[in-house]
Amino acid sequence: MASSLLAFFTVMDNQDGIIVRDPPKFDLDLYIQNYKGRTRFDRLFLIGRSSVPLCVDALKASIAEAKRGRDTQRYREAVECLRIAAPSDQDATFDQTWLETQEKANKAETNRLLTELKGYKNNLIKESIRMGHEDLGKHLESIGDLNAAAEAYSKMRPDVSTPKQFLDVGKHLVRVSIQRREWGMVSAHLSKMGGAQHAEEEKAVQPYLKIAQGIALLGQEKYKEAAQSFLLADSAVSASSYSELASQSDVASYGGLLALASMGRDELQHNVLDNAQFRTFLEQAPHIRRAVAQFVSGRYSACIAILESYRPDYLLDIYLQKHIATIYSQIRSKCIVQYLIPFSCVSMDTMNKAFGGPGQSIEDELADMIQSGALEARINTIDNLVTTKAANPRAQMQESALRVTENYERQALDRLRRMGLAAAELELKGGKKTGVGFAGDLLVDESLG
Amino acid sequence: MDQLASVLLDFPPAGGYADDEQYHRAAKSHSQDVAKLAVSQNFKAAAAQLLDHVHPAVNSISHLALLVSVGTTSSLPQPDFLAKVSVFLASFDARQIRYAGKNFSTVLDWLVRGGMFPASVAVELLTTALLRLDPTGSMLTSHHVALVNLAFTTDNVEPALPLLEKNVVFYPAAKAPQEGGAPSDLDLPPSAYITVESGLTKQLSSTEVLQYDLVRGLCFIQRRSWRQALDALERVITYPARDSHSCSKIMVEAHNKWILVGLLLDGKAPKLPATTAPGAQKVFAAIGKPYQAIGKAFEEKTGDNLKTEFESMGAQYFSEENNLNLMRLVLQHYQRWQILNLRQVYTKISLEQIRARTHNAETAALLATEAEIEQLVQQMIDEGMLSGVIERPADGPAYLTFHPPSEELSESEFAQKMLHTAQRLKDLEPLIKATNERLGTNRDYIKFLVGQQKREKEGRRDYDVSFLNQVEDEDLMTGVMGDF
Repeated sequence: MASSLLAFFTVMDNQDGIIVRDPPKFDLDLYIQNYKGRTRFDRLFLIGRSSVPLCVDALKASIAEAKRGRDTQRYREAVECLRIAAPSDQDATFDQTWLETQEKANKAETNRLLTELKGYKNNLIKESIRMGHEDLGKHLESIGDLNAAAEAYSKMRPDVSTPKQFLDVGKHLVRVSIQRREWGMVSAHLSKMGGAQHAEEEKAVQPYLKIAQGIALLGQEKYKEAAQSFLLADSAVSASSYSELASQSDVASYGGLLALASMGRDELQHNVLDNAQFRTFLEQAPHIRRAVAQFVSGRYSACIAILESYRPDYLLDIYLQKHIATIYSQIRSKCIVQYLIPFSCVSMDTMNKAFGGPGQSIEDELADMIQSGALEARINTIDNLVTTKAANPRAQMQESALRVTENYERQALDRLRRMGLAAAELELKGGKKTGVGFAGDLLVDESLG
Repeated sequence: MDQLASVLLDFPPAGGYADDEQYHRAAKSHSQDVAKLAVSQNFKAAAAQLLDHVHPAVNSISHLALLVSVGTTSSLPQPDFLAKVSVFLASFDARQIRYAGKNFSTVLDWLVRGGMFPASVAVELLTTALLRLDPTGSMLTSHHVALVNLAFTTDNVEPALPLLEKNVVFYPAAKAPQEGGAPSDLDLPPSAYITVESGLTKQLSSTEVLQYDLVRGLCFIQRRSWRQALDALERVITYPARDSHSCSKIMVEAHNKWILVGLLLDGKAPKLPATTAPGAQKVFAAIGKPYQAIGKAFEEKTGDNLKTEFESMGAQYFSEENNLNLMRLVLQHYQRWQILNLRQVYTKISLEQIRARTHNAETAALLATEAEIEQLVQQMIDEGMLSGVIERPADGPAYLTFHPPSEELSESEFAQKMLHTAQRLKDLEPLIKATNERLGTNRDYIKFLVGQQKREKEGRRDYDVSFLNQVEDEDLMTGVMGDF
């Protein structure tokens, strides 16, 4: 690794960024073609900051992308990064003239739109006011002032008159909220968009809604709900209608991975593999389909192997990056649990063959899983066996019955005591000044032998 | 002297009394008669002699009056007198003593003050006497407080245990509860006859009540009965408060010990009960921080944090808080709990692995040799903390086998246990009845009841009550007002 790259990734590491050393399977140019809008820059920039092999290429691409747009702040950030990563590159210097003219133009445009909007407001024509707000919102979004953009978009709401306009407002707000990573807001805007639409328009935006909802739920770590949302997306609608959020293969990966992490085998078969809608998405990401199929048919190690080989790809995805470690470990522990179900006793060697990597034993992982309660089993390190523990409902019933009665007795006594204290008017009464009224000093010494 | 004797032996008559009311009247007048006699010079002079003729178990009121008289005048050689006192305390008739509370308290106070008996005997006598007076042990008296202090400070906890293990639910009230029948009624709850008025107890303050439970907790800590200690301390920290900000220093002290005891008992920090007063919760969170940090560190996988937490406060701090020994025990027990928790994961594990997996919190490091671990594990097995066995096969390393917990009970065992619990719950019934009566006759409650009845009456005059109740559930402003 070049020393400048090393320096760059040391900085990223210090900022708690995720660093991916292995090259992903995708081609950067083909990958980015799937998207449009501001997400292109976000994705490129993220790859540039995370992937060691693609760092310079992605950063250069993101600079070019920023220069095509009007957001000067993004340009600055991208160039800053490239300056550390590849100081000698020709893109690594600020294009001052572009910056200045662009900033001037941005300001002028904002002012122009504001005055126009004022004029519309004076004329009291609803349609013009709405469009004025929309134009202003779009402009503000393109120059990166997302706060103000969200405000402008939400001001469109009182003046909408057709279902399409209504949906547009919602889409604008959802898009801005996703860019701001405000997952709760995304859900709120989406719930406003649900219902009250004509069937035809609803159909056209259905995947957009489902995908946005899934991304928002993923951001909030509600994996199961997120998976369900992705799995419901309608594949008949053209991908361009949601390409500002995700590509078709993204939908397949998000939906498939989250389903793997949160659903059982039957559910997977039914909701993923037999789902005609989702099959179209899966065609874009055949490895996900293979992984799910392997899981369902019980070949867990194959499933894990497939997923592991795609780990770098997912670590370079803007929505998945933060969650991939959790999702993978959930899938892995689910595999282990499922693997053990039919057995009462498994030898450690077989387990290692199925799940352990070269030279690393699965024992510690199993121990962690048992400790956290994910797995009901015991390890015998002497004979190298894993024994699963069958639930004993009788013993559980007996234990809980005894516990309930004991609790009941304790509580009854405690209440009697409190009532006794109340009857004797012995409750603690207020301290004199501050919140803490200290009554009495203590005189006992410790005498624990 | 014969005259004196005839009065003293007058009560109770050989035939007894037909009902409680008669007994009550006779006992009351008898104790008044004896009190009158007791001030006379004659009585004081003859007391020592009379003591032999008045039986402690039969004529308890009279015998007690004589004892007090002899005690104040010291008219009997000390060893004889002490023998009389101990015989009396072990055999008196509890029903009669309900009428001689003042003298009874005098004798108990002598014992507490010391000088008469060695502390261990005093504690035992006090315990016996108090349990004879109130066999349920559910009522706290000023003697309880004195006794627990005596037992703890003189290191004589064991003889007091029968009393300390009782659950106290009644406390002497500032105002005597309503007269409900004669105190001689044997079915009465102790709160009805042990009152400040009867002289059997003094008025207690909340501080004393708190102290009783705290010291009780300390007694159990001393005996290493962690379960009972935790319960006793929990009573202190959940002490009810009238307002939302008061908290006592005793409660804070109890809270800190409570966390440490909880660690020793369960291997994890106990959760604050929901009934804890809000003011106390706030104070615990602020002042109890070092202990909460220790509780948290105890649950971690390595001993580093526990050691750091301990050392950041310093032994000096815990010593000032009177918790140093407890704290040292917590540090020692950290590794034991680590080993014990392995039972959740392993059925058999080699000692070497135990060594590699568990930390010693005192040094925050692994134990150096397998022998040390073996010693520790063996100690745990011997103490009954761990159910398992160390095995040493000829061809391999030594290992520990955890015995599987015998979970399932047989049907009859289970029935036995349930029956036992049911019986204990049934035993609570009289207490609940007494509490109910006591609260039912509470002045505030009666005031509230009268007020409510009055309102009801007035309510009926103006509008139908059922209608009013019905309206209360709904929004008053929607249409109802128009109908008035």
